[in-house]
Amino acid sequence: MVGRILQFVLYPLVALAIGVFFLGLARKITARIQWRYGPPLVQPVIDMIRFFYQKSVSHGPVFAVGLIMSLAGSIVVVLFLPFGSICPLSGSGGLLVVLYVMLLAPMGIALSGGQGANPNISIGISRKLILALGYEVPFLLVLLAVMTHYNTISIVQVVEAQRDIGWSIASLPLFLSGVSYLLILPAMLGFRPFDVSTAPQEISSGPLVEYGGKYLLMATIEHALLLFIDIALFVNLFLGGAGNPIIFFVKMLIVFVLVLFIHAAFPRLRIEQAIRYLWKWPTALALAGLIIVTIGRS
Amino acid sequence: MDRNQIAKWFKEPSKMANKYSLHAIYFCTGCGIIEVPPVITARWDAERFGVIPVATPRQANLFLITGYVSVKTLKAIIRTYEQMYEPKYTVAFGSCPINGGMYWDSYNTIKHLDKYIPIDGWIAGCMPRPEAIFVAVTHLWTLIDKGMANGYERYRKYYRAYRRNQELALGKLEWPPLYPIGEHTEGGECD
Repeated sequence: MVGRILQFVLYPLVALAIGVFFLGLARKITARIQWRYGPPLVQPVIDMIRFFYQKSVSHGPVFAVGLIMSLAGSIVVVLFLPFGSICPLSGSGGLLVVLYVMLLAPMGIALSGGQGANPNISIGISRKLILALGYEVPFLLVLLAVMTHYNTISIVQVVEAQRDIGWSIASLPLFLSGVSYLLILPAMLGFRPFDVSTAPQEISSGPLVEYGGKYLLMATIEHALLLFIDIALFVNLFLGGAGNPIIFFVKMLIVFVLVLFIHAAFPRLRIEQAIRYLWKWPTALALAGLIIVTIGRS
Repeated sequence: MDRNQIAKWFKEPSKMANKYSLHAIYFCTGCGIIEVPPVITARWDAERFGVIPVATPRQANLFLITGYVSVKTLKAIIRTYEQMYEPKYTVAFGSCPINGGMYWDSYNTIKHLDKYIPIDGWIAGCMPRPEAIFVAVTHLWTLIDKGMANGYERYRKYYRAYRRNQELALGKLEWPPLYPIGEHTEGGECD
């Protein structure tokens, strides 16, 4: 019982630590690719300490409530994802719950931004929701293929099934779905070819433009958790999860660095180019994957 | 990060974090814009010291004003400065914000930026080399350490005088005062 409560408390903190580590790694590796030395790995922590001590102005009650809502949504999703052998809420709901609660994070940011009443926020949020429309279609198809293939909605059972037959991405029916998930991963994380919603040069970081001080701290934490969630879901569904947290972390690291290389090397797409890409290749691959899985079952 | 500073981190986390996480907002008025890109990109990588450019004054705590300040841009500078959250630091880059520089007898530029918003550090030169920004940042670290980079406190304390100078330069201001201007606000006249 005590162990279970400890899991509930410690697991989001571990997820946060990994997310913040990824943020620092992103800045360092991007810098090295651009032939710079780059900031220290702990730079996001230093920034977060500064955000905590800085004064800030609220634009109304919903300005804070929306952020807290998105943060709460992210933490709940984290609890539903198995992390190696740690999985506090794995018995209930599984993929369907994850699918629904994942929507809370962008919705909370949109709600909070609405109170900010800055035109850049409106543009940023509309871009973010349009982009979400772009990647949710292939994402749903991918999850549908996984659920159909393993005949379950529980992530833990998907991980266990992969222990016997090998990684999903290496098996024939789910290979195309795995590739499709990899292709939409930068869009889900908001990384560079798809960072239309937080473009600093065009719309002054979009939804983040009015955040400062503690609000920016919450937004940073939410971003760190988002990094953890999307990559952990990929590792669980397609890279076979892991028996212990350390191997799981190494797998996440490899996926993240892969996404980071794309982030550091490519320029930003316009929103309609992003949608055209997302609804073309990843959707086609996901659809083909779903058809293969369905044929394979019958 | 220096290992000898760990004790300092536990003693004064806010001061240390402010030192090593200077998110800068650049206000490039006329000249000086060309000195900034080498500083933040691969030539002299300012991100080593935690200095990165941000897009909005809400997230920034370092305000860098480069080049001469015309009366029209002064308005934007004041509004940007007042939108930043405390603690905030300002650095003026180039001769013109210090004493007018080569525009000392121009009818449309202001001579001393320090009269209108508090400036924590100056970089003299016309134009200074990009490395001068690093000199300014290290000096700013020393000032923050000693508690001397207190421009935002001066602004609050002498807000009445600053506001009066701003009104002298710009006429009637169309935004409300940042701090209450009452009888209780101490602050002398300055020119």
